Amino acid sequence: MLGDASILFQIAGIGIVVAMIHTILKQMGKEEYAQFASLVGFIIVLIFVIDGISDLFQQIKSVFLFRG
Amino acid sequence: MMKWIGALLLLSATTWVGFELARKLNDRPKQIRQLKSALQILEAEILYSQAPIIEACYNVSKQLPHPVSWFFKVVSEDLKVKTDSLYEIWKKNIDAFWPLVALGENEKEILRQFGRTLGQHDFVQQQKHIQLALTHLERELEEAQDYQYRYSKMVKSLGFLTGLLVVILLI
Repeated sequence: MLGDASILFQIAGIGIVVAMIHTILKQMGKEEYAQFASLVGFIIVLIFVIDGISDLFQQIKSVFLFRG
Repeated sequence: MMKWIGALLLLSATTWVGFELARKLNDRPKQIRQLKSALQILEAEILYSQAPIIEACYNVSKQLPHPVSWFFKVVSEDLKVKTDSLYEIWKKNIDAFWPLVALGENEKEILRQFGRTLGQHDFVQQQKHIQLALTHLERELEEAQDYQYRYSKMVKSLGFLTGLLVVILLI
């Protein structure tokens, strides 16, 4: 996972685009849609990294609880 | 290579959708203005030339730019050949004409109710009804301009940004 840096750039790109969408929607007075767009961006990124996070938790478990 | 072509296609498609929506927002005030001048010409035709509706509609269609002129032209032609009442023809043509323009439901209702009064009254009453329809259209025009001012830029940039987001997701 650490060897592959492209996912980092992808997440950074998603972050930038979602931030721009948020700013535009907020400027036009659509606060609720802006919040929703940010939430959707966050969920997308979470889906991207969920494998890595579960790996990390397994590692932590195996280190500290002598299991799995 | 194929990946980049696909990305470019997707991006241009969503940008186009955004521009198309913005064009619709921009066209609405323009067409309401055309509709207003159509009613004013109709008023002049009825009050001063005292023309029958067939001729009045035909003259209106000659003086206006494209989308709105079709409606009056078709109404005039239908009145010549069909035996239905004026309101039937007016309503049928409004329904046929509406998908072609960027106007909303409110303008449709205003125009439909105006058609019901057309040809039913004397000059003074008819003028009052035309003025009433013009006042309603003026109100719609203000609302449409407000919408155009607020949302047309937003829709354009949102289309582009959505395309960019999808491209990044799929790469």
